[in-house]
Amino acid sequence: MTNYGLVIDQERCIGCQACAVSCKQENNVPMGQYWNRVLTEGGDKIDTPAGGYPEDGQEGSLDMKYQPTACQHCENAPCVKVCPVNATYTRDDGIVEIDYDKCIGCRYCMAACPYNARVFNWDEPEHMPEEGTGDVSARPQGVVEKCTFCSHRVDEGLDPACVVNCPADARIFGDLDEETSTVSKYIDKYETNQLLEDRGTNPKTHYIRGEMSPGRPQTSDKLESELDDVTPFSDGADDVPSDPDGSGGDGASGGHHSIDDDAVPHVPSVKSGGAD
Amino acid sequence: MDDPQQPKLTPLPEWEAETARILDGVDYDADLGMRMARDAIRVSNGEMTDAEFHEKYHEEVLAEFGEDERPTKPEGFEDE
Ligand code: SF4
Ligand code: SF4
Repeated sequence: MTNYGLVIDQERCIGCQACAVSCKQENNVPMGQYWNRVLTEGGDKIDTPAGGYPEDGQEGSLDMKYQPTACQHCENAPCVKVCPVNATYTRDDGIVEIDYDKCIGCRYCMAACPYNARVFNWDEPEHMPEEGTGDVSARPQGVVEKCTFCSHRVDEGLDPACVVNCPADARIFGDLDEETSTVSKYIDKYETNQLLEDRGTNPKTHYIRGEMSPGRPQTSDKLESELDDVTPFSDGADDVPSDPDGSGGDGASGGHHSIDDDAVPHVPSVKSGGAD
Repeated sequence: MDDPQQPKLTPLPEWEAETARILDGVDYDADLGMRMARDAIRVSNGEMTDAEFHEKYHEEVLAEFGEDERPTKPEGFEDE
């Protein structure tokens, strides 16, 4: 079965915000709201490094990492489990989605999401230009919204907008259940982690850290599995499948670890830097 | 790592305050939302089963929302 996931190479990410901007545009995300944020790990404030400049001929210790964060499309999604009206649900292809017609705005899903990936439309959504942007209709006031892996594009055989528009080739989208997909190969080959692994949510977003991957240049904005003929990427990484129809292996299963009673974390809701 | 702009990848003692802020002024029972959120994570990490979670909150969800359409419903579970 198809099980879509995303690999983000943090060694390749240059923090340019192209994913955040293209997400906002493609999905008609209201002013003041963000589905996809490029957070930073490092100093006390966003976009500031930890450590110090070199002094007196010593080595400097400046250090900062970009942490692009959106809905992680958890396999064991707590948001789905708490929604009393089943407005938040998991599609057969693994994408966690919201039926905005069903949503009653109780925000239980926001409370349950450990990644702070959801936003609530407190007011009538505002768009610039007024008629909106992209290919998704606006969501009304009083509902919760979030990243859909651009399911409207995926349904058309296209990669998510953030993937296509990443100039550093740091984002790769594909079928985690397909052994020969680039996402599966990268997870197999590189050191990857998921956010808050001890929650057992088993996110379908995997982050590469440590060794930089060769990237996957966009041969088109089509999903890999939709490409009839994929140009092999010949740097030895063997990253592009020559058999897009090959059968898949098992997805990873969630970790089962204990957590403190009252220590359920959130990635903060605060926006990334910059205005709309 | 206490700055709210930083991704928090470790347990946060301030989770409760963050969740209370999210549910502040909600038209539904904020306390129920808080308890369910905490237990939903327990279900995710295997400390509680879907069925236990469903049964634990079924009456309260029904009373609050007039329906309980959560996908955690165990097979053969009687609605009323
Ligand atoms: S806010 Fe909407 S999607 Fe979230 S739990 Fe409530 S009804 Fe479900
Ligand atoms: S990241 Fe949050 S909103 Fe997305 S599936 Fe996981 S719990 Fe749900």
